[in-house]
Amino acid sequence: MVTNGGDPLRFSTGDGIDILASKEKFINYRFKAVRSPSVPNFHEGNYKNLNSSEPILASPIAAQPNYESDRDTENLVLNSEHDGTNSLIDLYRDEIVHENKDSNDSEEGEIFTRKEEEIENSSEVEQAFSGSPSKLVSVMDNAEHFDRYGFRKQNNFITEGVYNKWWEGYSQYCIRRKHKWVMLLEKSGLSVDNDMPTRFPPRSEKLKRYVRKGIPAEWRGNAWWYFVRGQEKLNKNKDVYEKLLVKMGDLNDEQQRKKLIDLDVIERDLNRTFPDNIHFQKEQFQNKEPPMIQSLRRVLVAFSLYNPKIGYCQSMNFLAGLLLLFMDEERAFWMLVIITSRYLPGVHNVNLEGVNIDQGVLMLCIKEYLPEIWEYIYPKQKLENQHKHDSLNISTEVLKNEFLFKLPPLTLCTASWFMSCFIGIIPIETTLRIWDCLFYEESHFLFKASLAIFKLCEQDIIKDKPLHKTLGQYTLPNSNRTSRYSRLSQDDYDMEIFQIIQSFPKRIIDPNDIFEKIIFKKRIALNRLDQQEIDRCRKYVSNQRLKYKNYKDLIGDQESLKKTTNRMNNNINIINNNNITRESNNNNNSNNNNNNTSSAAESLMKEINMTNDLMNDTLSSEVYGFKKGLSSVHWNNSIKERVKQMRRKREKDYQT
Amino acid sequence: MLQFKLVLLGDSSVGKSSIVHRFVKDSFDEFRESTIGAAFLSQSIKLDEDDTVIKFEIWDTAGQERYKSLAPMYYRNANAALVVYDITASDSLSKAQSWVEELKNKVADDKLVICLVGNKLDLCQEDSGKRSVEISDAKQYADEQGLLFFEVSAKTGEKVNDVFKSIGESLYSYKKEELLSKSEQNGTNTHGQVDLQLQKPATSDPTSCCT
Repeated sequence: MVTNGGDPLRFSTGDGIDILASKEKFINYRFKAVRSPSVPNFHEGNYKNLNSSEPILASPIAAQPNYESDRDTENLVLNSEHDGTNSLIDLYRDEIVHENKDSNDSEEGEIFTRKEEEIENSSEVEQAFSGSPSKLVSVMDNAEHFDRYGFRKQNNFITEGVYNKWWEGYSQYCIRRKHKWVMLLEKSGLSVDNDMPTRFPPRSEKLKRYVRKGIPAEWRGNAWWYFVRGQEKLNKNKDVYEKLLVKMGDLNDEQQRKKLIDLDVIERDLNRTFPDNIHFQKEQFQNKEPPMIQSLRRVLVAFSLYNPKIGYCQSMNFLAGLLLLFMDEERAFWMLVIITSRYLPGVHNVNLEGVNIDQGVLMLCIKEYLPEIWEYIYPKQKLENQHKHDSLNISTEVLKNEFLFKLPPLTLCTASWFMSCFIGIIPIETTLRIWDCLFYEESHFLFKASLAIFKLCEQDIIKDKPLHKTLGQYTLPNSNRTSRYSRLSQDDYDMEIFQIIQSFPKRIIDPNDIFEKIIFKKRIALNRLDQQEIDRCRKYVSNQRLKYKNYKDLIGDQESLKKTTNRMNNNINIINNNNITRESNNNNNSNNNNNNTSSAAESLMKEINMTNDLMNDTLSSEVYGFKKGLSSVHWNNSIKERVKQMRRKREKDYQT
Repeated sequence: MLQFKLVLLGDSSVGKSSIVHRFVKDSFDEFRESTIGAAFLSQSIKLDEDDTVIKFEIWDTAGQERYKSLAPMYYRNANAALVVYDITASDSLSKAQSWVEELKNKVADDKLVICLVGNKLDLCQEDSGKRSVEISDAKQYADEQGLLFFEVSAKTGEKVNDVFKSIGESLYSYKKEELLSKSEQNGTNTHGQVDLQLQKPATSDPTSCCT
């Protein structure tokens, strides 16, 4: 038995083929075409095979340790045809099983014609797409352009060629991981149950690692459901979904429907959910509404009735749509309930405050774990420039965390990462891998994944942007031109970073780019982030935002605040100057007037200061606490370390 | 080159993203995924006048009502706004009007160029029964409010470029006014060109910051 097959690094170096050499027959069976994609006259069949030989879809084969005999695999294949599953991947699998049987039985050159025959004759394949032959043919004609979930392989950022080349390797990784999972389940005494396991091993570091390396695609529905304790939720709410559907059916009255604005928005979004996925395209269903869209409508409307506080929020269509590819409607509904309450609390609420809080938390995380990038997102100079002339040191404590209230423009992009849990942001395999971890490790994983993405494009953000120099150049004091310029240049930075952050994730086709390069590297600081930190940060940011809002209500907006204090400040300066002159002159006669103005101004000042002190106190007394509230210690340590390094370097320089 | 920030606003599924994609990529998808949060794109055009090149930095936004709370982040510092409605959906015009009001109330810059755009013209050309916003009504509103106005089709591309060109011309004429008044103040008329250069983004000009 191969023991190191699960090492993805070995896999990525191309060792996978060697590792699997002992199963050559099996490999040939599944990957003959993949390994020789340039063979002439085989093109069509190749690509079809490439598409459909997704090992996961024919998983019973991969799951079986004994690959040596074709008979065994045949038997398993037959079994899998009747395992009574209802997820789409499994429907797909049936189709693929046919194709594979086909390619296995036939001579290579015959594949294409035989496949066509099969399409015409096989009622089972037709059933897989629950409809008539014509729509089936249209699917089959394009089959090679779609991935195993039915998404178009090609998009603006990835060509089909790039996809196929990557999939060639990644599919083998999936086989090996699947194999490992089967062994893990068997070792834990759990049944793999016709390749539809419903129970999984107890939580452990090992299981966490397995999840991070990817749950087998056709197990995902069950595994997610298991990890989020969906059945518990469902048992407590028996019949609720059904009743919601009844209620939905009663919404026929036009007047009644109109009151529910959500229904309108849902309706408009149905056809805008995964338009590049065959299960959502009506062309695949004789231009009738695909069953998937009908399910999506029911889930979304039912949810909006179930939770009026959220109702329907754009992005939930993607969450529900993806869930529906992996599980039935009722489960998808409850998963949506769980995601929007447990993992993304408040994110989809009418006021979107939850998403703002999470963006604040993400900014804190970047500041803490990726300080080099933070410098570019929120340059220190920005803060200093803004308040340089506020010689009262007014509310610097308050404004220190201003980015929690006035979120940087970048968050307009990262907000969507959270709202749709990366659907449409990152290619699908990577998204699903993040989902695996989200449901096993809870919501902090979304932040961890976000940080990992920032880390991956760190060079893009930093390169060619001599931040300090540039800003230094533009922050000459008291010059209108430069101040205008400084504003411009920060805007330009913001836009450049936004563009990088907007497009970079779309190219992360391989989940291991995030996992192998970042998440599995213990020495990378961001991997210390855990759920407690996120929980604390969420609470902190939420409180800070609330207080800031009250603060603004109390004082008026920032502009008028600045004006007032500046004016007051000037007055005080004048008074002080007068006082100085007065003292130096030792002239007591004209004191009274000055004192009067002075005391009036001072009392006003005091008032303002008191409010500020109060706010500073309340705002700073809370610790958002990375690593159990020791954030400052932690920071000091890193600064200390840096100072030490500098000192050592300087000493060295002196010596040489 | 002059650089301007433009923001797209309007009800959900009126075709904001489709208009941008037609303008930026000259492409159209019948079904485009709903925009979550915001997307940022840019595109340059050349004006007939003085061969001036105008670069638009475009913020495309999500249309659903609840995303409105994020909107100030987009239209802050915007030079132009494209307020889109769907000519086959009368509700969408009233949404557009509320956007116009919000812009007028919240954006201090009185030089903000607002363009009202009715999309999905192609649908009404196929079947005139589909129209539910009369062009005269929308035009009258636009005139009253001092907005630019177009009916376009992102699908066929009709008039889409005209929208941006006309916005560009308005912005350019404002800019020229501003520069003229400035150079008059300074008593130097020859420096208009130099000041124009100043509008270049610092970061894309290697000589100004990266050497």
